[in-house]
Amino acid sequence: MKVFTLACADCGTVVAANELERRREMHCPGLDCEATLRFSDLPEEARSAFLANREQYRIRD
Amino acid sequence: MKGIILAGGRGTRLRPLTHTGPKQLIPVANRPVIEYAIEDLREAGITDIAVILGNKGREEIQAHLGDGSAFGVDVTYVVQGNPLGIAHAVGCCREFVGDDDCVVYLGDNVLKQGITDLVASFETGDHVAGIALQHVEDPGRFGVADVDESGRVHALVEKPQEPPSDLALVGVYVFSPAVFEAIEAIEPSWRDELEITDAIQWLLEHHGSIDSHVVEGWWKDTGKPEDIIEANRLLLEDVEGAVSGRVADGAEVSGRVDLHEGARIEADAVVRGPASIASGTVIEAGTYVGPYTSIGPDSRLVGAQIENSVVVGGSTIATAERFVDSLIGRGATVGSADGRLPTGNRLVVGENSQLEL
Repeated sequence: MKVFTLACADCGTVVAANELERRREMHCPGLDCEATLRFSDLPEEARSAFLANREQYRIRD
Repeated sequence: MKGIILAGGRGTRLRPLTHTGPKQLIPVANRPVIEYAIEDLREAGITDIAVILGNKGREEIQAHLGDGSAFGVDVTYVVQGNPLGIAHAVGCCREFVGDDDCVVYLGDNVLKQGITDLVASFETGDHVAGIALQHVEDPGRFGVADVDESGRVHALVEKPQEPPSDLALVGVYVFSPAVFEAIEAIEPSWRDELEITDAIQWLLEHHGSIDSHVVEGWWKDTGKPEDIIEANRLLLEDVEGAVSGRVADGAEVSGRVDLHEGARIEADAVVRGPASIASGTVIEAGTYVGPYTSIGPDSRLVGAQIENSVVVGGSTIATAERFVDSLIGRGATVGSADGRLPTGNRLVVGENSQLEL
């Protein structure tokens, strides 16, 4: 299974695509980092592949 | 070589302690369990470490570890979010690891002898992965490896009915970058997780040589309360007595007692090591602290008898009762009901607590 991530350009903290997709937009969780991370910051190819297999990245209730 | 510490997970088996904090910060011998993983990696020469965070307890772990400099390492945080399996967590570190090898360490595991031998064994051969194993009495409860006499792994079986050996997988792995190819090739298991055993099995089938290293000292997964108490006992076996705190005249202290600066043992209290008493804690008159006990910071013990137990910290225990094999969470208060009517236990017990009265 492909694992997609985004690294914050400011602090290097890495966030999994599933977390970005869930929130769409989030404050970077890095220590004292003011950056904003968005699902749309992922490359188009990664977004498409993630969304096509979205259920794989979710925990079933 | 890079390090990856898994610090996600929901800690369901450690509730109610994990309702208010991550399991990786529960202290064992008065140190959060994740610090042992960091120490082992550092001693193996690995100082560039990714810490994988879940949705729970993320801020507390970041606040504790900071940028890692206080522990002599450089920490990069990786937010996995949903707990989609160990292999998914490792997959999130692809960019961080790059072309290096990496050690994956489950952040709630503790190994007596560290990982230096495991890393050295992997580095001296031409392997795509290395796994740590330990002889266990009940291999059917674990992932089990089928290993030949040279230590080469032939197969991994998860909780087998007929185990091919008594060698269980310990929560530390070494990987070449080929692991990312394996992670991409495997699919989630029946429990919706990308399993690291599936990734290792894929490496075995497609790349061949996987090294194994049998861990001779003890290993504990601190996932359950009894495991915390047992890990605490094992770690205190090796504690060196160091009295930096204050022992009053008339107090009785024997054995190896690690009394932190700012801790105090008052007259007519008895402390028998091995034991650890953290800063800001006061052991008052009439109290007995027996072997294999860790009392966390800023606690107060008045008249209690306690042995083979862990008090996380910020607690007051003011009763003449005797406590054994107990795990007492942060900020707990245990008082006396003597003289109160009607007689009986008065309890405010959190969800998922376990009591034996």
